[in-house]
Amino acid sequence: MSGRGPSTRTLTPPGIEPFDAAVTGIGLVTAAGVGARAAWDGVCDATAAPSVLHRKELAGLPCDFMYTITGLDTDAALGVAALRLMDRFSQLAVIAAREAVADAGLDPAVWDSGRVAVVIGSAHGGLPFYDAQHAALTERGARRVSPKLAPLTVVNGAASSVAMDLGVHGPSQAVSTACSSGTVAIGTAHQMLRAGACDIVVAGGAESVCSRLLIASACQMRAVSTRRDDPQAACRPFDTHRDGFVVGEGAGLLVMERPEHARARGATVRARVTGYGASSDAHSAVAPDPDGLGIERALRTALADAGVDGAEVGHVNAHGTSTVANDLIEATMLRRVLGEQPLVTSTKAMTGHTLGAAGGIEAALTVLALQHQLVPPTVNLDAPDPGIPVEVVTKEARRSTFDHAVKTSLGFGGHNAALVLSRA
Amino acid sequence: MSTSEEISALLVTRFGTDPDAIRPEVPLRQLRLDSLALEELRLLIEDRMDIDLEDVVLSSRDTVGRLVAAVSSKAGA
Repeated sequence: MSGRGPSTRTLTPPGIEPFDAAVTGIGLVTAAGVGARAAWDGVCDATAAPSVLHRKELAGLPCDFMYTITGLDTDAALGVAALRLMDRFSQLAVIAAREAVADAGLDPAVWDSGRVAVVIGSAHGGLPFYDAQHAALTERGARRVSPKLAPLTVVNGAASSVAMDLGVHGPSQAVSTACSSGTVAIGTAHQMLRAGACDIVVAGGAESVCSRLLIASACQMRAVSTRRDDPQAACRPFDTHRDGFVVGEGAGLLVMERPEHARARGATVRARVTGYGASSDAHSAVAPDPDGLGIERALRTALADAGVDGAEVGHVNAHGTSTVANDLIEATMLRRVLGEQPLVTSTKAMTGHTLGAAGGIEAALTVLALQHQLVPPTVNLDAPDPGIPVEVVTKEARRSTFDHAVKTSLGFGGHNAALVLSRA
Repeated sequence: MSTSEEISALLVTRFGTDPDAIRPEVPLRQLRLDSLALEELRLLIEDRMDIDLEDVVLSSRDTVGRLVAAVSSKAGA
Protein backbone atom coordinates (compact mmCIF):
# COMPACT_ATOMS: atom_id res chain seq x y z
CA MET A 1 0.00 0.00 0.00
CA SER A 2 1.69 3.19 -1.10
CA GLY A 3 1.89 6.16 1.23
CA ARG A 4 1.42 4.05 4.37
CA GLY A 5 4.83 4.57 5.86
CA PRO A 6 6.72 7.67 6.88
CA SER A 7 8.00 9.51 3.87
CA THR A 8 11.55 10.70 3.52
CA ARG A 9 10.30 14.25 3.14
CA THR A 10 10.65 16.70 5.94
CA LEU A 11 8.01 15.85 8.51
CA THR A 12 7.74 19.39 9.84
CA PRO A 13 6.85 21.94 7.15
CA PRO A 14 9.27 24.78 6.50
CA GLY A 15 8.51 27.95 8.40
CA ILE A 16 7.41 26.20 11.59
CA GLU A 17 9.68 27.38 14.35
CA PRO A 18 10.67 25.00 17.16
CA PHE A 19 8.69 25.52 20.34
CA ASP A 20 9.40 24.35 23.86
CA ALA A 21 6.52 24.32 26.32
CA ALA A 22 7.61 24.60 29.95
CA VAL A 23 6.19 21.95 32.24
CA THR A 24 5.83 23.67 35.59
CA GLY A 25 3.37 21.45 37.41
CA ILE A 26 2.26 17.85 37.69
CA GLY A 27 -0.84 16.21 39.15
CA LEU A 28 -1.22 12.45 39.42
CA VAL A 29 -4.01 10.30 40.80
CA THR A 30 -3.25 6.65 40.08
CA ALA A 31 -3.56 3.15 41.46
CA ALA A 32 0.20 3.32 42.07
CA GLY A 33 -0.27 6.32 44.36
CA VAL A 34 -2.31 9.47 44.86
CA GLY A 35 -0.26 12.60 44.33
CA ALA A 36 2.80 12.96 42.11
CA ARG A 37 5.28 11.95 44.79
CA ALA A 38 3.34 8.85 45.85
CA ALA A 39 2.69 7.81 42.25
CA TRP A 40 6.37 8.20 41.35
CA ASP A 41 7.46 6.24 44.41
CA GLY A 42 4.86 3.63 43.54
CA VAL A 43 5.98 3.04 39.99
CA CYS A 44 9.65 2.99 41.00
CA ASP A 45 9.18 0.45 43.77
CA ALA A 46 9.41 -2.94 42.09
CA THR A 47 8.63 -4.66 45.39
CA ALA A 48 5.27 -2.92 45.83
CA ALA A 49 2.17 -4.95 45.05
CA PRO A 50 0.12 -3.47 42.23
CA SER A 51 -3.26 -2.22 43.46
CA VAL A 52 -5.39 -4.64 41.44
CA LEU A 53 -8.72 -5.57 42.98
CA HIS A 54 -11.52 -7.94 42.10
CA ARG A 55 -14.54 -5.70 41.60
CA LYS A 56 -18.07 -6.68 42.47
CA GLU A 57 -19.33 -4.73 39.45
CA LEU A 58 -17.42 -7.16 37.24
CA ALA A 59 -18.30 -10.38 39.08
CA GLY A 60 -18.64 -13.39 36.81
CA LEU A 61 -16.77 -11.87 33.85
CA PRO A 62 -13.62 -13.58 32.53
CA CYS A 63 -11.79 -10.42 33.62
CA ASP A 64 -13.29 -9.33 36.94
CA PHE A 65 -10.39 -7.19 38.19
CA MET A 66 -8.94 -3.77 37.55
CA TYR A 67 -6.30 -1.41 38.89
CA THR A 68 -8.12 0.59 41.53
CA ILE A 69 -7.23 3.75 43.42
CA THR A 70 -7.48 3.17 47.15
CA GLY A 71 -7.29 5.61 50.03
CA LEU A 72 -8.81 8.53 48.12
CA ASP A 73 -11.71 10.25 49.88
CA THR A 74 -13.40 12.12 47.04
CA ASP A 75 -16.17 13.36 49.37
CA ALA A 76 -13.63 15.08 51.57
CA ALA A 77 -11.55 16.32 48.65
CA LEU A 78 -14.35 17.81 46.59
CA GLY A 79 -17.46 18.18 48.75
CA VAL A 80 -21.00 16.99 48.09
CA ALA A 81 -22.08 20.01 46.05
CA ALA A 82 -19.33 19.51 43.48
CA LEU A 83 -19.41 15.72 43.51
CA ARG A 84 -23.01 15.52 42.37
CA LEU A 85 -22.08 17.03 39.03
CA MET A 86 -19.14 14.78 38.23
CA ASP A 87 -18.71 11.14 37.40
CA ARG A 88 -15.54 9.61 38.79
CA PHE A 89 -13.28 10.42 35.82
CA SER A 90 -14.07 14.10 36.26
CA GLN A 91 -13.51 13.87 40.03
CA LEU A 92 -10.04 12.40 39.47
CA ALA A 93 -9.29 15.12 36.92
CA VAL A 94 -10.21 17.91 39.32
CA ILE A 95 -8.09 16.44 42.11
CA ALA A 96 -5.12 16.06 39.74
CA ALA A 97 -5.63 19.57 38.33
CA ARG A 98 -5.59 21.14 41.78
CA GLU A 99 -2.34 19.37 42.55
CA ALA A 100 -0.77 20.36 39.23
CA VAL A 101 -1.71 24.03 39.60
CA ALA A 102 -0.46 24.17 43.18
CA ASP A 103 2.75 22.40 42.12
CA ALA A 104 3.25 25.07 39.45
CA GLY A 105 2.94 27.78 42.10
CA LEU A 106 -0.06 29.27 40.34
CA ASP A 107 -2.93 30.96 42.16
CA PRO A 108 -6.24 30.83 40.25
CA ALA A 109 -7.45 33.78 42.31
CA VAL A 110 -5.00 36.10 40.59
CA TRP A 111 -4.06 34.57 37.26
CA ASP A 112 -5.29 36.04 33.96
CA SER A 113 -8.04 33.42 33.65
CA GLY A 114 -8.82 34.22 30.01
CA ARG A 115 -5.28 33.18 29.07
CA VAL A 116 -5.57 29.79 30.77
CA ALA A 117 -6.80 26.72 28.89
CA VAL A 118 -7.77 23.15 29.73
CA VAL A 119 -7.32 20.17 27.41
CA ILE A 120 -8.16 16.77 28.88
CA GLY A 121 -8.35 13.47 27.08
CA SER A 122 -10.75 10.65 27.88
CA ALA A 123 -11.85 7.65 25.88
CA HIS A 124 -15.13 6.82 27.57
CA GLY A 125 -16.17 9.72 29.78
CA GLY A 126 -18.77 8.87 32.41
CA LEU A 127 -19.55 5.37 31.24
CA PRO A 128 -20.27 4.02 34.77
CA PHE A 129 -23.02 6.63 35.24
CA TYR A 130 -24.39 5.72 31.84
CA ASP A 131 -24.50 2.06 32.93
CA ALA A 132 -26.38 2.97 36.10
CA GLN A 133 -28.93 5.08 34.27
CA HIS A 134 -29.47 2.43 31.63
CA ALA A 135 -30.21 -0.01 34.45
CA ALA A 136 -32.66 2.51 35.97
CA LEU A 137 -34.41 2.84 32.62
CA THR A 138 -34.77 -0.88 31.99
CA GLU A 139 -35.54 -1.89 35.56
CA ARG A 140 -37.61 1.02 36.88
CA GLY A 141 -38.79 2.99 33.86
CA ALA A 142 -38.12 6.28 32.10
CA ARG A 143 -39.18 8.48 35.02
CA ARG A 144 -36.42 7.06 37.21
CA VAL A 145 -33.63 8.16 34.85
CA SER A 146 -31.47 10.98 36.16
CA PRO A 147 -31.62 14.33 34.35
CA LYS A 148 -27.82 14.46 34.77
CA LEU A 149 -26.99 11.79 32.17
CA ALA A 150 -25.67 14.15 29.52
CA PRO A 151 -23.55 16.45 31.71
CA LEU A 152 -22.02 13.57 33.66
CA THR A 153 -21.26 11.22 30.79
CA VAL A 154 -19.96 13.53 28.06
CA VAL A 155 -16.25 13.08 27.39
CA ASN A 156 -15.69 16.80 27.97
CA GLY A 157 -16.98 16.46 31.54
CA ALA A 158 -13.46 16.37 32.95
CA ALA A 159 -12.37 19.49 31.07
CA SER A 160 -15.47 21.46 32.01
CA SER A 161 -15.28 20.34 35.64
CA VAL A 162 -11.65 21.45 35.88
CA ALA A 163 -12.44 24.75 34.17
CA MET A 164 -15.28 25.40 36.65
CA ASP A 165 -13.25 24.32 39.64
CA LEU A 166 -10.25 26.48 38.77
CA GLY A 167 -12.16 29.40 37.26
CA VAL A 168 -10.60 29.02 33.82
CA HIS A 169 -12.06 31.34 31.17
CA GLY A 170 -9.83 30.50 28.21
CA PRO A 171 -10.57 27.60 25.87
CA SER A 172 -11.39 24.24 27.45
CA GLN A 173 -11.92 21.09 25.48
CA ALA A 174 -11.78 17.33 25.43
CA VAL A 175 -9.69 15.17 23.20
CA SER A 176 -10.92 11.67 22.45
CA THR A 177 -8.67 9.37 20.45
CA ALA A 178 -9.18 6.21 22.51
CA CYS A 179 -6.01 5.18 24.36
CA SER A 180 -3.87 7.97 22.94
CA SER A 181 -6.25 10.69 24.20
CA GLY A 182 -3.98 11.91 27.01
CA THR A 183 -0.96 12.18 24.73
CA VAL A 184 -2.95 13.95 22.02
CA ALA A 185 -4.29 16.34 24.68
CA ILE A 186 -0.74 17.31 25.65
CA GLY A 187 0.21 17.62 22.00
CA THR A 188 -2.81 19.82 21.39
CA ALA A 189 -1.82 21.95 24.38
CA HIS A 190 1.68 22.28 22.89
CA GLN A 191 0.16 23.53 19.65
CA MET A 192 -2.16 25.97 21.44
CA LEU A 193 0.74 27.47 23.37
CA ARG A 194 2.85 27.64 20.21
CA ALA A 195 0.01 29.45 18.41
CA GLY A 196 -0.31 31.94 21.25
CA ALA A 197 -3.89 30.94 22.04
CA CYS A 198 -3.07 30.93 25.75
CA ASP A 199 -0.21 31.29 28.22
CA ILE A 200 -1.02 28.35 30.48
CA VAL A 201 -2.67 24.99 29.77
CA VAL A 202 -3.73 22.25 32.15
CA ALA A 203 -3.44 19.19 29.93
CA GLY A 204 -3.47 15.42 30.15
CA GLY A 205 -6.01 12.65 30.60
CA ALA A 206 -8.59 11.20 32.97
CA GLU A 207 -10.50 7.92 32.98
CA SER A 208 -12.46 5.69 35.33
CA VAL A 209 -14.49 2.96 33.70
CA CYS A 210 -15.44 0.25 36.12
CA SER A 211 -18.22 -0.57 33.69
CA ARG A 212 -19.62 -4.07 33.45
CA LEU A 213 -20.79 -3.30 29.93
CA LEU A 214 -17.38 -2.14 28.69
CA ILE A 215 -15.36 -4.91 30.34
CA ALA A 216 -17.80 -7.57 29.14
CA SER A 217 -17.21 -6.33 25.60
CA ALA A 218 -13.44 -6.17 26.11
CA CYS A 219 -13.56 -9.79 27.25
CA GLN A 220 -15.48 -10.73 24.12
CA MET A 221 -12.82 -8.95 22.08
CA ARG A 222 -10.15 -10.97 23.95
CA ALA A 223 -8.25 -7.75 24.52
CA VAL A 224 -7.96 -7.99 28.32
CA SER A 225 -6.07 -10.41 30.50
CA THR A 226 -8.10 -13.22 32.03
CA ARG A 227 -5.52 -14.17 34.66
CA ARG A 228 -8.13 -14.16 37.43
CA ASP A 229 -6.12 -16.44 39.69
CA ASP A 230 -3.25 -13.96 39.88
CA PRO A 231 -4.56 -10.52 38.90
CA GLN A 232 -1.58 -8.60 40.28
CA ALA A 233 0.64 -10.40 37.78
CA ALA A 234 -1.83 -10.12 34.91
CA CYS A 235 -0.43 -6.95 33.33
CA ARG A 236 3.06 -7.97 32.18
CA PRO A 237 4.26 -5.77 29.31
CA PHE A 238 6.93 -7.27 27.05
CA ASP A 239 6.72 -10.61 28.87
CA THR A 240 6.51 -13.89 26.98
CA HIS A 241 3.35 -14.83 28.88
CA ARG A 242 1.42 -11.57 28.43
CA ASP A 243 -2.23 -12.15 27.54
CA GLY A 244 -3.86 -8.73 27.35
CA PHE A 245 -4.20 -5.44 29.15
CA VAL A 246 -5.74 -4.73 32.54
CA VAL A 247 -7.91 -1.64 32.87
CA GLY A 248 -6.98 1.00 35.42
CA GLU A 249 -8.41 4.31 36.58
CA GLY A 250 -6.62 7.59 37.09
CA ALA A 251 -5.75 11.06 35.98
CA GLY A 252 -2.47 12.65 34.98
CA LEU A 253 -2.20 16.33 34.21
CA LEU A 254 0.58 18.74 33.37
CA VAL A 255 0.66 22.49 33.74
CA MET A 256 2.33 23.71 30.56
CA GLU A 257 3.27 27.31 29.87
CA ARG A 258 4.74 29.45 27.18
CA PRO A 259 8.42 29.62 28.18
CA GLU A 260 8.51 33.42 28.55
CA HIS A 261 5.44 33.26 30.80
CA ALA A 262 7.11 30.72 33.07
CA ARG A 263 10.33 32.74 33.08
CA ALA A 264 8.58 36.02 33.86
CA ARG A 265 7.00 34.65 36.99
CA GLY A 266 10.15 32.80 38.07
CA ALA A 267 8.51 29.38 37.90
CA THR A 268 10.47 26.20 38.42
CA VAL A 269 10.50 24.30 35.14
CA ARG A 270 10.41 20.54 35.64
CA ALA A 271 10.96 19.67 31.98
CA ARG A 272 10.02 20.82 28.49
CA VAL A 273 7.65 19.41 25.90
CA THR A 274 9.81 19.89 22.81
CA GLY A 275 8.07 17.86 20.14
CA TYR A 276 4.74 16.34 19.20
CA GLY A 277 3.63 14.12 16.37
CA ALA A 278 0.40 12.31 15.54
CA SER A 279 -0.75 10.03 12.78
CA SER A 280 -3.51 7.68 11.70
CA ASP A 281 -3.01 4.06 10.70
CA ALA A 282 -6.02 4.00 8.35
CA HIS A 283 -5.84 0.27 8.92
CA SER A 284 -8.14 -1.27 11.56
CA ALA A 285 -10.75 -0.43 14.17
CA VAL A 286 -8.65 -2.06 16.87
CA ALA A 287 -5.41 -3.60 15.64
CA PRO A 288 -2.30 -1.48 15.18
CA ASP A 289 -0.66 -1.39 11.79
CA PRO A 290 1.24 -4.70 11.79
CA ASP A 291 4.45 -2.99 10.73
CA GLY A 292 4.09 -0.12 13.19
CA LEU A 293 4.29 2.40 10.38
CA GLY A 294 1.65 4.69 11.87
CA ILE A 295 3.31 5.06 15.26
CA GLU A 296 6.65 5.36 13.46
CA ARG A 297 5.30 8.34 11.53
CA ALA A 298 4.07 9.95 14.74
CA LEU A 299 7.40 9.42 16.47
CA ARG A 300 9.49 10.67 13.56
CA THR A 301 7.27 13.75 13.35
CA ALA A 302 7.73 14.41 17.06
CA LEU A 303 11.50 14.02 16.78
CA ALA A 304 11.61 16.37 13.79
CA ASP A 305 9.43 18.86 15.66
CA ALA A 306 11.84 18.76 18.59
CA GLY A 307 14.96 18.79 16.42
CA VAL A 308 16.15 15.72 18.29
CA ASP A 309 17.85 12.76 16.66
CA GLY A 310 16.63 9.30 17.60
CA ALA A 311 20.07 8.44 18.91
CA GLU A 312 19.78 11.25 21.49
CA VAL A 313 16.73 9.69 23.17
CA GLY A 314 17.71 8.02 26.42
CA HIS A 315 14.36 6.83 27.73
CA VAL A 316 10.97 5.77 26.40
CA ASN A 317 7.83 5.42 28.48
CA ALA A 318 6.16 3.07 26.05
CA HIS A 319 2.51 2.40 25.41
CA GLY A 320 3.39 -1.18 26.44
CA THR A 321 -0.12 -2.45 27.06
CA SER A 322 0.73 -6.12 27.66
CA THR A 323 -1.14 -7.26 24.57
CA VAL A 324 0.70 -9.65 22.30
CA ALA A 325 0.42 -7.41 19.24
CA ASN A 326 1.08 -3.96 20.70
CA ASP A 327 4.22 -4.74 22.62
CA LEU A 328 5.97 -6.49 19.74
CA ILE A 329 4.98 -3.94 17.09
CA GLU A 330 5.80 -0.97 19.29
CA ALA A 331 9.15 -2.31 20.48
CA THR A 332 10.22 -3.23 16.96
CA MET A 333 9.35 0.28 15.82
CA LEU A 334 11.24 1.86 18.71
CA ARG A 335 14.39 -0.08 17.82
CA ARG A 336 14.04 0.90 14.17
CA VAL A 337 13.63 4.62 14.88
CA LEU A 338 15.68 5.19 18.01
CA GLY A 339 18.32 2.48 17.95
CA GLU A 340 19.39 0.35 20.87
CA GLN A 341 20.33 2.95 23.50
CA PRO A 342 17.03 4.07 25.08
CA LEU A 343 15.92 2.46 28.30
CA VAL A 344 12.32 1.45 27.74
CA THR A 345 9.69 0.93 30.37
CA SER A 346 5.96 0.41 30.64
CA THR A 347 4.56 1.78 33.87
CA LYS A 348 1.19 0.21 33.10
CA ALA A 349 2.13 -2.81 35.19
CA MET A 350 1.78 -0.49 38.22
CA THR A 351 -1.00 1.85 37.04
CA GLY A 352 -3.01 -0.44 34.76
CA HIS A 353 -4.08 0.64 31.31
CA THR A 354 -5.92 3.83 32.08
CA LEU A 355 -7.09 4.18 28.47
CA GLY A 356 -7.68 7.87 27.75
CA ALA A 357 -5.74 8.89 30.86
CA ALA A 358 -2.69 6.79 30.03
CA GLY A 359 -0.85 9.40 27.97
CA GLY A 360 -1.33 12.06 30.65
CA ILE A 361 -0.19 9.83 33.48
CA GLU A 362 2.77 8.48 31.54
CA ALA A 363 3.87 11.88 30.26
CA ALA A 364 3.89 13.11 33.88
CA LEU A 365 5.96 10.08 34.88
CA THR A 366 8.32 10.80 31.99
CA VAL A 367 8.79 14.35 33.27
CA LEU A 368 9.70 12.89 36.67
CA ALA A 369 12.07 10.39 35.03
CA LEU A 370 13.87 13.30 33.33
CA GLN A 371 14.07 15.21 36.58
CA HIS A 372 15.30 12.28 38.64
CA GLN A 373 17.37 10.74 35.83
CA LEU A 374 15.78 7.48 36.84
CA VAL A 375 13.84 4.98 34.74
CA PRO A 376 11.04 3.10 36.52
CA PRO A 377 10.97 -0.68 36.14
CA THR A 378 8.46 -2.71 34.17
CA VAL A 379 7.17 -4.94 36.94
CA ASN A 380 5.92 -8.46 36.25
CA LEU A 381 8.45 -8.82 33.44
CA ASP A 382 9.76 -12.21 34.54
CA ALA A 383 10.32 -13.87 31.19
CA PRO A 384 11.23 -11.24 28.58
CA ASP A 385 9.84 -12.00 25.15
CA PRO A 386 12.94 -12.81 23.04
CA GLY A 387 11.28 -11.08 20.11
CA ILE A 388 11.33 -7.70 21.87
CA PRO A 389 14.38 -5.92 20.42
CA VAL A 390 14.77 -3.07 22.95
CA GLU A 391 16.26 -2.84 26.41
CA VAL A 392 13.38 -2.90 28.88
CA VAL A 393 14.17 -1.94 32.47
CA THR A 394 12.95 -4.59 34.85
CA LYS A 395 13.33 -5.70 38.47
CA GLU A 396 14.32 -2.26 39.78
CA ALA A 397 14.48 1.38 38.73
CA ARG A 398 17.67 2.21 36.87
CA ARG A 399 19.75 5.37 37.04
CA SER A 400 20.84 6.83 33.75
CA THR A 401 21.84 10.10 32.15
CA PHE A 402 19.59 11.41 29.42
CA ASP A 403 18.45 14.77 28.07
CA HIS A 404 15.54 13.58 25.96
CA ALA A 405 12.76 11.07 26.50
CA VAL A 406 9.82 9.88 24.44
CA LYS A 407 6.24 9.01 25.27
CA THR A 408 4.36 6.93 22.71
CA SER A 409 0.64 6.10 22.60
CA LEU A 410 -1.56 4.09 20.27
CA GLY A 411 -5.36 4.19 20.28
CA PHE A 412 -8.09 1.96 18.91
CA GLY A 413 -8.98 3.26 15.48
CA GLY A 414 -5.32 3.81 14.63
CA HIS A 415 -4.75 7.07 16.53
CA ASN A 416 -1.01 7.30 17.14
CA ALA A 417 0.79 10.01 19.07
CA ALA A 418 4.25 10.71 20.36
CA LEU A 419 5.81 13.36 22.55
CA VAL A 420 9.44 14.33 22.97
CA LEU A 421 10.16 15.63 26.45
CA SER A 422 13.47 17.18 27.37
CA ARG A 423 15.32 18.23 30.50
CA ALA A 424 14.66 21.73 31.71
CA MET B 1 -39.97 13.09 59.78
CA SER B 2 -42.01 15.99 58.37
CA THR B 3 -42.01 16.94 54.68
CA SER B 4 -39.91 19.99 55.52
CA GLU B 5 -37.40 17.84 57.36
CA GLU B 6 -37.25 15.31 54.53
CA ILE B 7 -36.49 18.03 52.00
CA SER B 8 -33.93 19.69 54.25
CA ALA B 9 -32.17 16.37 54.77
CA LEU B 10 -31.93 15.82 51.02
CA LEU B 11 -30.63 19.32 50.41
CA VAL B 12 -27.93 18.95 53.03
CA THR B 13 -26.79 15.42 52.19
CA ARG B 14 -27.16 15.42 48.41
CA PHE B 15 -26.54 19.05 47.48
CA GLY B 16 -24.23 20.21 50.25
CA THR B 17 -26.61 22.99 51.24
CA ASP B 18 -25.90 24.85 54.47
CA PRO B 19 -28.74 23.78 56.84
CA ASP B 20 -28.96 27.27 58.32
CA ALA B 21 -29.71 28.71 54.87
CA ILE B 22 -32.81 26.53 54.41
CA ARG B 23 -35.65 28.83 55.47
CA PRO B 24 -39.20 29.07 54.08
CA GLU B 25 -38.77 32.52 52.56
CA VAL B 26 -35.49 31.73 50.76
CA PRO B 27 -35.68 31.36 46.95
CA LEU B 28 -34.35 28.04 45.73
CA ARG B 29 -31.85 29.76 43.43
CA GLN B 30 -30.29 31.32 46.51
CA LEU B 31 -29.50 27.78 47.60
CA ARG B 32 -27.76 27.29 44.21
CA LEU B 33 -30.55 25.06 42.95
CA ASP B 34 -30.63 25.62 39.19
CA SER B 35 -33.07 23.96 36.79
CA LEU B 36 -31.00 20.76 36.61
CA ALA B 37 -30.73 20.56 40.38
CA LEU B 38 -34.47 21.05 40.76
CA GLU B 39 -35.19 18.13 38.45
CA GLU B 40 -32.69 16.02 40.35
CA LEU B 41 -34.32 17.03 43.62
CA ARG B 42 -37.74 16.15 42.24
CA LEU B 43 -36.53 12.60 41.54
CA LEU B 44 -34.92 12.25 44.96
CA ILE B 45 -38.05 13.43 46.78
CA GLU B 46 -40.21 11.05 44.75
CA ASP B 47 -37.97 8.11 45.62
CA ARG B 48 -37.64 9.04 49.27
CA MET B 49 -41.31 9.79 49.89
CA ASP B 50 -42.82 7.44 47.32
CA ILE B 51 -44.91 10.15 45.69
CA ASP B 52 -45.38 11.49 42.16
CA LEU B 53 -44.39 15.11 41.53
CA GLU B 54 -44.62 14.92 37.74
CA ASP B 55 -47.25 17.66 37.45
CA VAL B 56 -45.72 19.95 40.06
CA VAL B 57 -44.37 23.07 38.39
CA LEU B 58 -41.34 24.55 40.12
CA SER B 59 -38.69 27.07 39.22
CA SER B 60 -35.57 28.37 40.90
CA ARG B 61 -37.51 31.55 41.71
CA ASP B 62 -39.85 29.62 43.99
CA THR B 63 -39.12 29.57 47.70
CA VAL B 64 -38.37 26.71 50.02
CA GLY B 65 -41.82 27.25 51.54
CA ARG B 66 -43.52 26.90 48.15
CA LEU B 67 -41.58 23.68 47.50
CA VAL B 68 -42.55 22.24 50.88
CA ALA B 69 -46.20 23.16 50.31
CA ALA B 70 -46.25 21.56 46.87
CA VAL B 71 -44.70 18.36 48.12
CA SER B 72 -46.96 18.30 51.16
CA SER B 73 -50.03 18.55 48.98
CA LYS B 74 -48.91 15.47 47.05
CA ALA B 75 -47.80 13.60 50.16
CA GLY B 76 -51.20 14.06 51.67
CA ALA B 77 -53.10 13.17 48.51
